[in-house]
Amino acid sequence: MAADKQTAKAQAAAGGVGWAPYLFCAPVMLYLLVFQAYPLLQELYLSFTQTSLLSPGQHDWVGWRNYTDLFEQEEFSQVLVVTLVYTVACVVFAIGIGLGTALLLNMPFRGRGIARSLITIPWAAPPVAVALVFIWMFNGQYGVLQHLLNFLGLSSGMEGWLDNPSRALTAVLLTTVWQIFPFTSVVILSALQGVSNDLREAAVIDGADRFSVFGAVVWPAIRPTVMLLTLFITIWSLRRFDLIWLMTQGGPIGSTNTLVIELYRRAFTYRELGEAAAVGMVGLSLALVITVVYFRLTVRAERAAGH
Amino acid sequence: MKTTTLDWRQALLMIVILGMLGITAFPIYWMLVTSTTASTDLFASPPHLLPGLSQWHVFREVFNTTDVGNWLINSAIVAVGTTVLSLLLAVLPAYALSRFRFAGIAIVGLALFVTQMLPEAMLVVPLYAIFGQLSLLNTLTGLILVNTAFTVPVITWILKGAIDGVPIDIEEAASIDGCSRIGTVFIVVIPLIAPTLAATAVIAFFHGWNEYVFAQTLVSAPELHTASVGLAGFVGELSTPLHSVMAIGLMYTLPAVFFYLLVQRYVVAGMTAGSVKG
Amino acid sequence: MTTLMSLPSLRAGARALGVAAVFAVAVPGAAHAQAKETLSFAAATFAESGRGDKLKLWVEKFNKSQSAIEVQPLALPFSTLAKTVFTQMGGGAGPDLVRFDLIDYYAAAQAQRILPLDADIKASDYKLTEPNKYLVIDGKRYGVPFEISNYQLIYNPQLLKGGKPPATFDEFLTAAKDATSDQVFGFAYRATMAESNGFWQDLCNFVYGFGGRWSDDQGNLTINSPKVVEGVIAYKKMYDLGATPKGADAATYRRMFWEKKLAMEIDNGGVAGIFSQQAPDLPLQAAPSPFPTRAQGLILAPLAINSNTKHKEAAVTFVKWMMQPENQKDLQAILGAANVATVIERTPEELAARPWLKVYDDQSPHSVPQLVKGFEARTPEIQQVILEQVLRVLQGGAEPQKAMDQAQRLVSTRVLRK
Repeated sequence: MAADKQTAKAQAAAGGVGWAPYLFCAPVMLYLLVFQAYPLLQELYLSFTQTSLLSPGQHDWVGWRNYTDLFEQEEFSQVLVVTLVYTVACVVFAIGIGLGTALLLNMPFRGRGIARSLITIPWAAPPVAVALVFIWMFNGQYGVLQHLLNFLGLSSGMEGWLDNPSRALTAVLLTTVWQIFPFTSVVILSALQGVSNDLREAAVIDGADRFSVFGAVVWPAIRPTVMLLTLFITIWSLRRFDLIWLMTQGGPIGSTNTLVIELYRRAFTYRELGEAAAVGMVGLSLALVITVVYFRLTVRAERAAGH
Repeated sequence: MKTTTLDWRQALLMIVILGMLGITAFPIYWMLVTSTTASTDLFASPPHLLPGLSQWHVFREVFNTTDVGNWLINSAIVAVGTTVLSLLLAVLPAYALSRFRFAGIAIVGLALFVTQMLPEAMLVVPLYAIFGQLSLLNTLTGLILVNTAFTVPVITWILKGAIDGVPIDIEEAASIDGCSRIGTVFIVVIPLIAPTLAATAVIAFFHGWNEYVFAQTLVSAPELHTASVGLAGFVGELSTPLHSVMAIGLMYTLPAVFFYLLVQRYVVAGMTAGSVKG
Repeated sequence: MTTLMSLPSLRAGARALGVAAVFAVAVPGAAHAQAKETLSFAAATFAESGRGDKLKLWVEKFNKSQSAIEVQPLALPFSTLAKTVFTQMGGGAGPDLVRFDLIDYYAAAQAQRILPLDADIKASDYKLTEPNKYLVIDGKRYGVPFEISNYQLIYNPQLLKGGKPPATFDEFLTAAKDATSDQVFGFAYRATMAESNGFWQDLCNFVYGFGGRWSDDQGNLTINSPKVVEGVIAYKKMYDLGATPKGADAATYRRMFWEKKLAMEIDNGGVAGIFSQQAPDLPLQAAPSPFPTRAQGLILAPLAINSNTKHKEAAVTFVKWMMQPENQKDLQAILGAANVATVIERTPEELAARPWLKVYDDQSPHSVPQLVKGFEARTPEIQQVILEQVLRVLQGGAEPQKAMDQAQRLVSTRVLRK
């Protein structure tokens, strides 16, 4: 709440709010209006029409039909399930592994600086390149992962990954988590560096073991960061496209078919912009609901924590 | 006795860390191995595990036979443009969100959040029409403009966090000196949040460097293809040799990795300075 | 409301935001503002190794023959060409000339996005090849075949027992099995959604080969007819044989064929042409596909004129130039084992040097487009439903007849309701 006090002070110093904040925010708002809000409203409108990619200027108003159609199709419930599983798994593993890595990298050891840089390499790798190399690594016949599994005796060979409905989602998830966990780990690591060592040492002197130090000192300090990261990873996972599209196009048998993949296919393969827009709106609603729930929960958690 | 347990722990820690590093680096190493494996050996079992030193010419070959040099330049232009424009647009609203309580602040905050949720694939069709009207189709400028729309919100949030951490008294001193408000932001605040600016610059740069959907749809002239489009398109239906694909993939990945390693110090510091502290 | 925002103000807004003008890169074409009328010609073929460069030279030959027109080749990736071009056409722009796949041609024609050519290209003036009939929609022609390509079994005799190709499906299975060893696979085809278009082409070959079609002449769906189901069962038999490199994409297994690690595949004449040009030492031979009937899929890629074009006359000039016998002959030679819009006889030398050319040419009367007849423009959706059901058979152990019944039901209730 220090920021609030500062804000009040700043506003007092400026002699009230005045026009400054509006002027400061105007360019970005205008910008987002043109490049995000305006197209979004068009999409909203399209979702109530039947419109072809080839003639986006001609719309037949169909009311809620695109939406009712979606929810009548059994495959669409699969799309929702896949989207949720993918998103939750991304969050759990990216945050879990990111947190673990950050804690490790926060310990003193020789070469820590180098390790901290190297571990973040995946984050810098372009998704298109990542997708292509993982497709090759997951190849059921010549892929290095299959060779490894065969070598370890964990596989009888030839089960395949990306062409196997029971393993494709796992493969896509492994790739995604490999790509995004370094980001969570960098952010958590920076939050960890804000944790006072005195507090930690005091707790250790008090005879606390590692886990209780983590619970009593470290976790409260990094919790807000982790929570916000959770929200961002959720939102980003809901809209991730290039990795999944290039690896599986949503297949096989819809096992990796998330909302964005479904949207893209309807818009560009089936050329049905109206249906695609409806899928997009369902996805956006999902993201909005998650965000609202998130803010409710954080407010409650902060109250419980006595802020 | 105590030292030996410490050593043992240290060793375990090192093993775990080396394992993690191995996992993070392996796919990129594998691009290198695959690109330098002769095409006859690609289907060998067990696979070749080391890069083939005699095969370096594959890089020269793809460089001469494809437009990869041009693609990389285009990606760099888009990435740098996105970075500069994103930072220019984000600084002032970040300051406003941090320092003022004004009517409509919630709307600004909400707008910045909701725009994070929009998938590129959803907006690409309406944007195509808008770009047509604005004569932005088939330009790298257009890609810069649209990529910025996706980076500005998150960058504004991160910068706001950093500005929250700048003591207000410093600004007061400056405003007594008669600096205008915007002057204060640029002369006083910005230098203090430089590490965070660097961190956000990296985020914007990567977004511009990596972006695929818009680059594929809004630009069709081959001389304006970015590396993401060039690489994805190079994976042809007709016997494109895998080692060439991987060679281009590596040429596309390494600049980003090196750039990151160069600036990562600032990224960690910048994230610490303000970042997503909530 | 932003929707009420007028365009001029939008434009002004964007200009105000034009910080990025610093990075402005001029629109290509603006720089070429010479007297010549410049047209763009989009095709995936321009990006192919070997054929692409030769095709660009062929276009260059046209440019040299003209004083006022210049056609610029635009190489778009195969996987995204239709998506990109359709988005552009919908946005009122796009390349002037496009080489489409047949499915996309139907979609574009029905949306009036390509121009009817009947007034400019008189069928009676040319000796047209048989598949030209597929380009006439409701009595109108919207394009001319740029490339017609049949499917045949291609094989490497060194890797087959006795060096002879299989003639029946049972022999086919045996031959694939026998050729498979540690290092070599007997046969390769596609069965993943990441390559859904290729998967569809391969499936069409099996289904057509067993006498199945996706719909009958009256326009009724026949997705669950006995012959289609037989084709699906055959696909599954091959899948379960252990003789295919599962999950290898087409680029990979074609490369394997090239590296003599694959004994057989069923592929189009364009691929055979590339093999023979790029890997002259490869002992490549072709034979009719080993199915009960000779029917196989057909790649038919028409050249069409974008109805948004501002250079209609010039585009027609190019199409007419392409139809001239000499240029047709050059085009056919460049494309490999493919045919073109008009009948071009192969020379004896050509046939002697590449005996497999004749096998491909002889397939022509038996080739069938990879479309759902009567529902041509809806093929992408129908294709998606069918492929998912076939994958259930291949991977999920679904019973073939039931899966195809389900496909038939889904297509009729969902796709065709609209």
